Amino acid sequence: MVETPVEDKRITLKEAAKLIPDGAHLFWGGFGFQRPPMAFAHELVRQKKRNLTIYTCGSEMDIDILAGAYVTSRFELAFFAIEGIGLAPNIQRRIREGAVQIEDYTNLAMALRFLGGALGVPFMPLKSMLGTDLLTKTKFKPKKAEVITCPFTGEKVVLVPSVRPDFSIVHVSRVDREGNAQIDGIKGEDVEGARAGKKVIVLAEEIVDTEFIRSQPDQTAIPNIYVDYVVECPWGAYPMMVYNYYDYDMEHIRMYYQQCKTEEGWQKYCEEYIMSVEDHMDFLKKIGMERLLKLRAKKPFPY
Amino acid sequence: MEKKNYAKLGEFTTLELMAVCGARAIKNGEVVFVGTGLPMIAAMLAKRTHAPKAKIVYEAGFIDSNAIDIALSIADSRLGYRASAAIGLIETLGLLLQGGHVDVGFVGAAQIDEYGNINTTYIGDFEHPTVRLPGSGGGNDIVSSAKRIVIIMTHEKRKMVKKLDYLTSPGHLDGPGAREKAGLLGGGPSLVVTNLCQMDFDPETKRIRLATIHPGVSLQDIRENTGFDLIIPEHVPTTEPPTYEELAILRAIDPHGIYIPRSAQTR
Repeated sequence: MVETPVEDKRITLKEAAKLIPDGAHLFWGGFGFQRPPMAFAHELVRQKKRNLTIYTCGSEMDIDILAGAYVTSRFELAFFAIEGIGLAPNIQRRIREGAVQIEDYTNLAMALRFLGGALGVPFMPLKSMLGTDLLTKTKFKPKKAEVITCPFTGEKVVLVPSVRPDFSIVHVSRVDREGNAQIDGIKGEDVEGARAGKKVIVLAEEIVDTEFIRSQPDQTAIPNIYVDYVVECPWGAYPMMVYNYYDYDMEHIRMYYQQCKTEEGWQKYCEEYIMSVEDHMDFLKKIGMERLLKLRAKKPFPY
Repeated sequence: MEKKNYAKLGEFTTLELMAVCGARAIKNGEVVFVGTGLPMIAAMLAKRTHAPKAKIVYEAGFIDSNAIDIALSIADSRLGYRASAAIGLIETLGLLLQGGHVDVGFVGAAQIDEYGNINTTYIGDFEHPTVRLPGSGGGNDIVSSAKRIVIIMTHEKRKMVKKLDYLTSPGHLDGPGAREKAGLLGGGPSLVVTNLCQMDFDPETKRIRLATIHPGVSLQDIRENTGFDLIIPEHVPTTEPPTYEELAILRAIDPHGIYIPRSAQTR
């Protein structure tokens, strides 16, 4: 018997961010405080990317950082805030400046737009948005949604355009070097979003042997066929959370929120935690092992 | 009927009363869609009192959650504790909600109008807004498709308005039959819980109607803080105060006062 060689898709975080050209369209994974690709956001800021369009359902501090650093100029999304604390401070400021534009959908609409992209169909039907300004008011899309009468039943249905972004960026629990990914806890819209991108970059808390994945194939959320690049990225969602791995660092998130209420405060945060560190490992050193270990999930709790 | 042991005025806070009102709107066995904040506390209270068989769903993907710690995010790992499933948005908002399995959804609002239409997106002009709010999230999906909706919010004139700055989630739109005509599946708002009162909807006109007045609040307070024409029936009962049992459970659910600060103003 000839053993199948294991394809190795591993690259570094720096190499992964280098793949993203200015002006690219990105599916942005994670939901709320859960598994945001925070380390990837930092690296895009360090590499001074510009003019990106981001598609996501609901994101928080990660996309607030991208807006603050002028990396992203357009968002198509359903929700942004620093949940439990307040409005996203940098995005507010960038909207007022005219540096950021937001096209609003609902969470279901965005999730279906990713599913549509993944399915290779141009639009998806849904029963939300009817009768509201979400249907009619647009910021930059010439056509945002359309109400049709169902040709079979005669009922009213909303159609939303599918999304096929240049890249999908997802942060998962674990992955093997071929790109088979497991996601613990809620998946948000990452299952569909990871399949919608033309190129897919999977960042993970840990890289596991492919035999581990293949001993429990029912646990694979994203099979290797969809995945182009794999990045090992422990604590990659810090200061937010990863199910079964670590809790959020509310003290850091609150500090971020307070500081970023002013442009000077944001510039200081960006310099201190993003620009002046060499890479993600350097950032983790700055946060400190002691602080990180306190956040580790305490079994049987996933946090 | 067993005699209930009600707390007296001064022994509970307004937020505690609002959480209790929210909890009482949940029937045993119902599938309940909630967000974080007061609705989460209300649903947890309902499960620990009269509705132990209620199933709490969070849109991020946690289904039949039995959380014991207070979550700050809708995707918070805390909500996964002893849940029956952790899936994703297509499951919760698509298959469960749009599929017709959700009995009651809880939402907040920055503004509502007299038909219970909701704004959570912009304050001010669409092109040059004063404040850009978080947006719909799953709010529009929930209000579109749940069988009924409970709105929990602060009662202020600038929030209870004649005309919304932006219509994010559909209440009864412009009156009777409007939801059906628009093609919406769910029943729309049925209850509004504020810091002053509870309001329901007149079945004939689908306009907001005063239902109960919180203890210690006057009709005058409500009129002064409402920016639209509120239907006021001849007899409006006082809101049933929390029982000592409800208060004890509530304080155990949020022991650090994350969503219900102990120091909050007492009515």
